Amino acid sequence: MKLLFVEDEPVLLQEMQLYFRSLNYTCEHAANFADAAEKVNSYVYDIVVLDITLPDGNGIDLIRDIRTQHLETGILILSARDSLQDKLNGLNMGADDYLTKPFYVEELNARINALYRRKVLKGSSKVVFDDFTIDPESKQLFFDQKALPLTRKEFELLVYFVVNKNRVLSKSSIAEHLWGDHVDQFDNFDTLYAHIKNLRKKLINVSGKDYVKSVYGMGYKFALE
Amino acid sequence: MKLLTKTSLNQFWLSIIIIVITGIMLLFLLQREVSVEIEEQLEMQAAAIVHEIEAGRPVNSPMIQIISDDSPMLDQPRIFRDTLIFDQLQQKTEGYYYLTDNYIIKGQEYRIRVMTSHIGIDGYSKAIIYIFIIMALLLIICGSVMNYFVNRKIWQPFLTNLQRLKSYSVSSTEQLTLDRSNIHEFEEMNTVLIELAEKARAEYIALKEFTANASHEIQTPLSIIQSGLESISQFELQPEIAGYVVNAKEATSRLSKVNKSLLLLAKLENNDFPDKKKVDLSALLNEQIDRAEDLFSFKGLQLERQITYKEVYSSLFLLEVLISNLLSNIVAHAGQGTQVKISLTDAAMTFENGGEALTFPEGQLFARFGKGTDSNKGNGLGLSIVKQICLANGWEVKYHYADKMHVFKVFF
Repeated sequence: MKLLFVEDEPVLLQEMQLYFRSLNYTCEHAANFADAAEKVNSYVYDIVVLDITLPDGNGIDLIRDIRTQHLETGILILSARDSLQDKLNGLNMGADDYLTKPFYVEELNARINALYRRKVLKGSSKVVFDDFTIDPESKQLFFDQKALPLTRKEFELLVYFVVNKNRVLSKSSIAEHLWGDHVDQFDNFDTLYAHIKNLRKKLINVSGKDYVKSVYGMGYKFALE
Repeated sequence: MKLLTKTSLNQFWLSIIIIVITGIMLLFLLQREVSVEIEEQLEMQAAAIVHEIEAGRPVNSPMIQIISDDSPMLDQPRIFRDTLIFDQLQQKTEGYYYLTDNYIIKGQEYRIRVMTSHIGIDGYSKAIIYIFIIMALLLIICGSVMNYFVNRKIWQPFLTNLQRLKSYSVSSTEQLTLDRSNIHEFEEMNTVLIELAEKARAEYIALKEFTANASHEIQTPLSIIQSGLESISQFELQPEIAGYVVNAKEATSRLSKVNKSLLLLAKLENNDFPDKKKVDLSALLNEQIDRAEDLFSFKGLQLERQITYKEVYSSLFLLEVLISNLLSNIVAHAGQGTQVKISLTDAAMTFENGGEALTFPEGQLFARFGKGTDSNKGNGLGLSIVKQICLANGWEVKYHYADKMHVFKVFF
C-alpha cells in the first residue's frame, strides 16, 4: 500500500510514518501545500492522508488534483478543525473520509485499510491470519472455511485488532472505534471487557490459541507471529 | 396593539370628542341666536299692539292676551320664556315662546302677552343638526380610513425591513439589505441598522475564526501528546510507569472531549450548522440504539422501543450528537437491571430510564458542568449540549421524575 501524508506538524508526521512503516506500507510525506501539489501531480498513491490546514494553502484544493491524477486514490481528510463546513466541503469535493484530531493512529489505520479495500481492491479482499479468514464485506469470520458466528461488535473488534496486530491498543481507542467519539467511553470499559472476553473464548474454542493479550493497565494486544 | 391600529384609534376617538363638543356648542349657539331673534320679534309684535291700543283699535287674537285691570299681576316683572301649550286640534302639546311685559298707554297700565310657536325654528335646527351629524360621521369614517391607508403606505417599507431583520442572521454570508424609504427617520434608522449588522457580522466572522484557530492550536498539541503516549505504551513498562501513562492518557482523552464539547457549544450558540436537510429521525434513532444495544444489555437494562416514522429538518450531525448524548446519559445513570423506554411520536421523542431520584436540584441538570460529583461519568456537558441542540432546532427538552423513572422528553 502506497501512502502519502500531507501534514505540517513534524512530530505527528513522524509518529504516523513510524507506525505505518512498521506495517510495511510505503510512506511518503509532504509538509506544505506546494510540496504536496508536486507529489500528487507526479505520482500515484493508494491513499492520501490530508491535513487541510497547511501553512501555504488549504488542503481541500488538493483534492481535485488528486482526483484528476488518479480516480481510485482514497482521500482521508485529517483536520484539527472540527468544523462541519470543512467536513462538508471536503466530502463534497470528493474526499472519502474525515477524521478529527486528536485521533488514534490505530483508528487512522483501520480507516485507511477500509478505504483501501473499498477503493483499490474494490471490496473483493479478504483478511487472513493463521487459519482464519475475515470477509469484511459480508461481515463474516471463517475458520478452515467454516463460518464462525460473531456478534456485530465482536466482528468490528476483531477487524480492529487484526488490522492493528501486535500493537497495544488502549481501551479508549477501542471503545471510540466501537461506539463512536460522542460517547463517553469510561462508562463502557466493562462492556468492552465483556466483548473481548467473548471474542477471545470463541477464537480459543476453534483454534486453541489465545490471540488477545491483556497488557497491564494499558489495554489489549492482538498477538500474531 | 399595532402602531397603525393605535394611531387610527387615537384619531378616531379624538375626532369623535371634537365633533361632539362642537356639535353641542352649535346647538346651544343656534338656540341662543334663535331665542334672541324671537324675543326681538315678540317685542316688535308687542310694540305693534301698543300702537293699535293707542290708536283705539281693539286687538284680539288667541296668541295675544291683554290685561288692563288693576290686578296684582301688573306688579310682576317682564317675562320671556318658552312653554308648552295643549293644542286641541292636534291633540298634543306644542312648544311656544312668550313675552309678557307692562306698558303704560294713555295713562293706563296694561300687561300684554304675545306668543309664537317653536315649529318653524325646530324644523331648521333639525335640518341643521342632521346635516351636521352626517358631515361628522363622514369626516370621522373617511378620516380614519384615509389615515389608515396613508399610514400603511408610509410604514410599509419599515415593516418589510423588520421582516428582513427578523430573518437575518449574522452568520449569513450575505450583507443585510433594506428597502429605501423617503421618510428621513426611517432612512436614518436603515443606515444605522445596516452598519450595526455589518459590524456584528465582522465580529462574528472574527469570533468564528478565533474559535477555529483556538481549536486547531489546542487539538494539534493534544494529538501529539496522545500519539506520544500511545507510542510509549508499546514498550514494556514497569507497572509504576504504566500507571502514570494510563492516567496521562485518560486525562488527555478527557481534555480533548471537553475541548470538543465546548467548541460544539460555541458553535451551537452561533447556530453555525450549514448541513440542514430532511432527516428520517426514526431510522437514525433505531440505528443509534442498535449501536448502543450491547451497552444496555451488559447493564441488564430492559429496553423497550416504540418508534413511529418521523421526519425532521435539521442537521444530521446535531441529531447524532443529541441522540447519542441522551443514550450515553441512560447508560451512565440507569440503575442496574432497570427498565428503559425510548419512544418517538410525531410530537415528541422520549427517553425514560429507572433509577434513584436526583441528589441535586433539577435546574442544574442542563447547566454546564452542572453536577460534577461523579467525575467518572462524563464531563458534565452532555445535557447542556442536548439543551442547546434543542434550542438551535426550535425544540424544547423537559425533564421530570415519576414512578422511579427519569424522563427526558424532546418536544418538536
